[in-house]
Amino acid sequence: MNRNDIAFARFHPTVLFFYFFCLILFTVFTQNPVLLLSALCGGILFCAVTNTAKKNLAAAKLYVPMFLLVSMTNPIFSHSGATPLFFMNDNPVTLEALLCGVDLAVQVCAVMLICGAFSRVMESDKLLALFGKLSPRLATVLSMALRFIPLLKRKWGEICEAQRALGYFREESFFDRIASYARVFSALVTWALESSVDTAASMSARGYELAGKKHFSLFRFTRGDGIMLALTTALSAVTLFGILLGKADFDFYPRISEINTDIFAIITYAAFGTLALLPFIFEVKEALKWKYLRSKI
Amino acid sequence: MKKDIIITLLIIMLCAVFVLTTDFKTVEEYYLENAENIKEGDATVFISIRCDAIFDNAEKLEPDLWEFVPEDGVILAKTEYVLRDGDTVFDILVRAAKTHRIQMEYSGSPEARTTYIEGISHVYEFSCGELSGWSFLVNGELTQVGASAYKLSDGDVIEWVYTCDLSRDILQGGGTNE
Repeated sequence: MNRNDIAFARFHPTVLFFYFFCLILFTVFTQNPVLLLSALCGGILFCAVTNTAKKNLAAAKLYVPMFLLVSMTNPIFSHSGATPLFFMNDNPVTLEALLCGVDLAVQVCAVMLICGAFSRVMESDKLLALFGKLSPRLATVLSMALRFIPLLKRKWGEICEAQRALGYFREESFFDRIASYARVFSALVTWALESSVDTAASMSARGYELAGKKHFSLFRFTRGDGIMLALTTALSAVTLFGILLGKADFDFYPRISEINTDIFAIITYAAFGTLALLPFIFEVKEALKWKYLRSKI
Repeated sequence: MKKDIIITLLIIMLCAVFVLTTDFKTVEEYYLENAENIKEGDATVFISIRCDAIFDNAEKLEPDLWEFVPEDGVILAKTEYVLRDGDTVFDILVRAAKTHRIQMEYSGSPEARTTYIEGISHVYEFSCGELSGWSFLVNGELTQVGASAYKLSDGDVIEWVYTCDLSRDILQGGGTNE
């Protein structure tokens, strides 16, 4: 997917980095189901509008089983909670643990979706532009780490094809296929380790980390970037204030606490909800604008 | 295809073994398993559960838990149970928890004698400061083994005591026998 396809990606790297930093920070450190659900909604909606249907389906195949796995695992290992549903080896399986598991699953899926959106919006050139001045080493490590997933996907396909062409890839039986994929995976890991060392060596051989090196970047801070940055800051500040005041506190054990619905809590939820939905709203707004302008011509 | 079927069957068997060796009970079934009545001449043991150490460290307790702490700190007053052959401290605790509907969570396995009592009546380890947790005394003394490794004999007195200071507060306060 090209950068120009995602309207949200056209913002200045600083704005984008700050936005995702705040969003991920709040999502990771809260247990409140309202906040987590809005983060999940934001992630799902943004992926839905920026990805093709085929990719969305593939993502659903990953996220739905993972969601179920995480939510089922918690009640098996955590027996705390005041409402037992049934007993397993004399240990209670409780409603609280089950709901806590669902909450955790929402959190994990939300963070993964937001990180996915981050990696599609922040390409390596943006990260380099952002961190290149501060620390070239950090910028290299970050860009290499974030590049890994798409790189490995491409290499995975290449190794599979090579193995098929050589006749090593057996596909008759499901478990043979798993064994074949395991071999491809081991080749992939070996290659990844070697190539990352190669890349690092090659970059330092070209003087990447020398002092006084300047970076060229095309990003300019426009008025729109300023508005976005101010909006993100304001919404994050309200959310942070609400969380620090304990308005979004939520506990599962031993009894599920009630969702706080006083006026400050609702303001916190609204601020965080808007923050989480910002990319989606912006994407839809730009798409409508494009459609509207085009139909007038 | 043949391989597929064999391996699928193996996995199903593994799952079946796991499910069959796990003991599933509904809430009603669990609490219905009462201890038998004490008859003349039966070997018996006594068990009590208390958490009064919390009152000395009240500021450390998680505030949500106060509703589960009895006013006098006694979760279960001294109660007599029939001693069955090979009963351990853990077995008696499970029986007491069932008959009195006390919430209890353990980790480890009774068969392997590795049980660890994480919490009783929603008061868990670390609920009242980082040195807090459940420990037990038999006849007023701390033991060197876990609850499911300690075999009881006739007339033993078990005390489950919540400590807020790594059992040091129990030794200072002394068991009820001393």
